[in-house]
Amino acid sequence: MPAQTARDAIQTIGLTKRFGQTLALDQLNLTVTAGEVFGFLGPNGAGKSTTIRLLLGFLRATAGQAWIFGDAAADAAAAHRHLAYVPADVALWPALTGAETLELLADIGPGIDHHYRDELIQRFELEVDRKCGTYSTGNRQKVALVAAFATRAPLLIFDEPTSGLDPLMEQQVRQCIAAAEARGQTVFLSSHHLTEVEAVCQRVGILREGRLVEVAELSDLRRLRLTEMTVSFRGAPPDLEQLCRVTGVSNVQELSPSRLSLTLTGTPAAALRILANAEVVGLDVREPSLEEIFLEYYGQPAT
Amino acid sequence: MITFVRPAVRLIRYGLLIMLILIPGLSTIVIVQYRYTFANPAEVNSLQVLAENPAIRVLFGVPLALDTAGGFTVWRTGAIVVAILASWALLTATRITRGEEQSGRWALLLTGRLRLPAVVAQHLLVLLIAQILVGSALALGFIVTGAGTRGALIYALGVTFAAMLFAAVGTLCAQLVDERRTASGIAAAVLGLVLLLRMVADGVERLGWLAWLTPFGLLAEAEPYAANRLAPLAVMAAMALTVGGIAVLAAARRDADSGLITGSSTRPGRFRLLRSTPGFAVRRVLPSAFGWAAGLCTYFLVIGLLARSLTEFLRANPRFADLAAQAGFAGLATVQGYVAALFLLLAIPLGVFAASRLSHDAADEADRRLTAVFCKPLPRSRWALVQIVVIVGAVVLLAMGSGAATATGIVLAGADLRLTEAFAGALNAVPVAVLCLGAAQAAIGWVPQAVLALGATPAVGGFLLTVLVDTFDWPDWLGQLSPFAYLASVPATAPNWAGAAGLIGVSVLLVGLGIAGFARRDLRG
Repeated sequence: MPAQTARDAIQTIGLTKRFGQTLALDQLNLTVTAGEVFGFLGPNGAGKSTTIRLLLGFLRATAGQAWIFGDAAADAAAAHRHLAYVPADVALWPALTGAETLELLADIGPGIDHHYRDELIQRFELEVDRKCGTYSTGNRQKVALVAAFATRAPLLIFDEPTSGLDPLMEQQVRQCIAAAEARGQTVFLSSHHLTEVEAVCQRVGILREGRLVEVAELSDLRRLRLTEMTVSFRGAPPDLEQLCRVTGVSNVQELSPSRLSLTLTGTPAAALRILANAEVVGLDVREPSLEEIFLEYYGQPAT
Repeated sequence: MITFVRPAVRLIRYGLLIMLILIPGLSTIVIVQYRYTFANPAEVNSLQVLAENPAIRVLFGVPLALDTAGGFTVWRTGAIVVAILASWALLTATRITRGEEQSGRWALLLTGRLRLPAVVAQHLLVLLIAQILVGSALALGFIVTGAGTRGALIYALGVTFAAMLFAAVGTLCAQLVDERRTASGIAAAVLGLVLLLRMVADGVERLGWLAWLTPFGLLAEAEPYAANRLAPLAVMAAMALTVGGIAVLAAARRDADSGLITGSSTRPGRFRLLRSTPGFAVRRVLPSAFGWAAGLCTYFLVIGLLARSLTEFLRANPRFADLAAQAGFAGLATVQGYVAALFLLLAIPLGVFAASRLSHDAADEADRRLTAVFCKPLPRSRWALVQIVVIVGAVVLLAMGSGAATATGIVLAGADLRLTEAFAGALNAVPVAVLCLGAAQAAIGWVPQAVLALGATPAVGGFLLTVLVDTFDWPDWLGQLSPFAYLASVPATAPNWAGAAGLIGVSVLLVGLGIAGFARRDLRG
């Protein structure tokens, strides 16, 4: 058992899953600290859902191990005391009503905050007397979200939790995640919805073809990636040839005789030194959105 | 056209294969058996007394042309063959129409050029053609074994049209309600009702006209190997066409993903039996258990009502008691012996019920309905064990219900059977059903695609094996492979406690193996 597991909501060591010839997840080493909101990104088929299903013990790891608050993920009785889960595609028993489903999920689990559940039903405007068979995708997702948040579980695992929800409901989910964070709950959020991840997560992991290619604070990711810089100057332009030679500088464009733009990766110090030779009158630095970072990762082939 | 029917063909191919073997197989076995048993013409004449007994008529229909192998086989197996094929047709119809639609797989199909009625019609068409294939194989079986062509064609047409009718009934039910299991339940209830009507029509002379309302009765009216009438077959074909047409019209009058009967989509919550895993397991079993209970109790009530008449007949005609004894049903001439034989048959529906319950569980897993349950702090092994215990409970209650119904019928008919004897006889069948449950659980653990097929094997396959071994004098050790070899004829004789214990022991092993596999393997869905 790894050290200090109790502080870590999720820990995986060398977690690997093969389906026949396909390597779905390759040696995942990941730690999510208790209390953080962690974003889990990756294109379709990258292995996000496989990772989550391994964390839930639904799949057996080919190699490696995973722990949930120190309990082995494969031991459902122990590990599942700590968590609640909302899948991407929620399937419910069609003959049960929403209220009956919520009651069932509350009673076969370790108990819920009933008062909070009633509040959540109001907030998500869930019609609980309807049979689940008549619910839309979004409404089924609401049932799962209400059931998960109401558990007040220390770890909330969400797989695309808002894919079927309208923007107003997405807002509610974000607020609930913020409230969960404020209570000290950990959130593991797998999503394609990058603005959502950007809004709620402090740290993200990026998965690609079954491999974790990056784990970083969102702010670090931004700083290190593709800053777009627009420079206005008076008089003679800076030495463009020299500028182009600086490591990390690319895409230098003369927008007008007195303006140029460039993209920058890494620290800007060297580029700034060359720009300082001209009389700079304006400097606009735009950090990339998560979407741009994401596209940058997937635009290039795997190494 | 070919590309459009391909999904439907893929969905029915395995079931069709089984029907193509089972339906002609059953009949040819009986044809061969007949030749073997009634080699002597005097024996054949003795069969005619069968026609006069009302109880025999109720159970098997009115016998005709018993002096031919074909006529005998039609009488002996006709109702069973139609019931099996019709059950398959209606269950397949609801599965490939409502089931596919409910799963969302039709959404893609419907975005193409085809509209809903056309998609429904095509699936129905594929199923109708499947019945023609099975019917052709059946006719071929009769002809190849030399049972006569004309009767074979009339009979096979009748069976085909009857199966077509129930394919259409299943398709229609799938248009009425928006849930596959409900649609299957309604269609199965129609089949059960029709079977009951047939029994009444054959048993009560004044109500004989009812036969014209049921495919079973119409098949009898066609008199294969006797009068070989075409008119009743035409009526049956018209019925099938009409119901199929109504199904397609109904599809045109509804929205995708909904049924024509849209009951209220809201209702106040009913929270009883939701507060624990065992409670929920009971709640999940109840609706289908009630359905099976209704069917079994009705059937065994009729069996009880006929007991006196049948046993008196067999005492008066010992030759038939001998024949039954050769087929493995000894002592039919006493009420105890008669109910003991029929209670052995109870193992088949009980086993299929048990296996079908676990196959529902497998379907719930594959459709991800169990995901919400399995992310609770509840080991899969416990979940599985709770389901098993609840299903065993349901099987025991179904057996006792059947026993009570039989005893009631017997007492009403003026014969004598104690309630404890009826219970003992019915419960005697339970170990085979438990074995089915064990096989089904083992399938869930290791081959979750085939839970129903493997789960039903001990009861259905075992029974067929017993019949085959008895008929063709196959070696004894082969017969020992059937679980029925370990059941005594209770209440005619004392229970075979060791045999029952052995069956239960094997079941426990299979359940353990299945749960171990289920707890370790990847979840599907």
